[in-house]
Amino acid sequence: MSAALRMRRLGLPALLAALALAAGCAKETTRYGDARGVETVTNEFGSTDLQMIAESMARSMLKAPAIVSGNLPIVTVQEVRNKTSEYIDTRAITDSIRAELQKGGKVRFAVDASGMTQQTDEIKRQQNEYYNREQSVEKGQMVGAEYRLEGNITSIVKRVEDIKDVYYKVNLQLWNVRNGLLEWSDEKEIRKTTTRG
Amino acid sequence: MKHASIVAVALASALAAGCASKKGFEQPGYAYGCPIGDAKVASMDDLVKLKVVMEGSRTTVVPTEMRCSRSGDLIRIDANLNNDSRSVKRIAYKFRWIDREGMRAWEEEAWKPLLIYNNANHLINTVAPTEKAADFRLILRSQE
Repeated sequence: MSAALRMRRLGLPALLAALALAAGCAKETTRYGDARGVETVTNEFGSTDLQMIAESMARSMLKAPAIVSGNLPIVTVQEVRNKTSEYIDTRAITDSIRAELQKGGKVRFAVDASGMTQQTDEIKRQQNEYYNREQSVEKGQMVGAEYRLEGNITSIVKRVEDIKDVYYKVNLQLWNVRNGLLEWSDEKEIRKTTTRG
Repeated sequence: MKHASIVAVALASALAAGCASKKGFEQPGYAYGCPIGDAKVASMDDLVKLKVVMEGSRTTVVPTEMRCSRSGDLIRIDANLNNDSRSVKRIAYKFRWIDREGMRAWEEEAWKPLLIYNNANHLINTVAPTEKAADFRLILRSQE
């Protein structure tokens, strides 16, 4: 066996071993990113979608005559139904919309159905003999909402070989609790396409 | 001499009156409905230069027109973005809201991705999140 051939035979396993070692010792790094940057890691519902929907819907709602003309209308947030095929925390969408509107100071929010148990539990707790009667809240003082906010999120997903296309549509509606009229409604559409290769 | 100065003053007044009635500049401190403060804005290009900021990778997409109005006590903005290139452009944008003292009136908005077809316009519109927002900047960056 020639020296050159022997070197080549020795070189290949050595290279493979070095690669395996390098892969095993690959250094993991963690860095902080921009929480408000455009996130395109995967095709699934992500932070940018959540932020865009919340901002777009909250700003649109600020233009609604019921909000513009009203004197700090009281709104309660109901469910945004997830009609997509993936798991989406729709509560995060309504929480973000509520936070944006609340900060803007144009709308007040009444306790919603999901927070009702905690609210009544706290009232009951304050009725307890251990609390000062004069400082405790009384039953029957809660204020009902004039409007309720509800909506849907739907998606259409299409896959062809190396292409995956996702279309999201969020529809929100603001209903007048007293007369059942739809006071405002808007939609936000998002399309994301991933191509492989 | 006195006669000449009277004529000059009259001319200047007529010129000023002419400028004041120019469309888009009816209200002092505003151009096309948008707040401009003490800045000198004589055209739509000046307004765009004043209000648009590029951050990060620069994009060739530029606003060609920008108009403001009010919805109650909130500023409403329409901005027409133009892509005059022969390729589709992907950009991201956000608005920055400024109060009367020049401080931020609202937290930094999320970047919003946008696709604009070749040789096409795209209208973006928004409304201020709070009545404290007295001025704004449109921030653009390339997403290519």
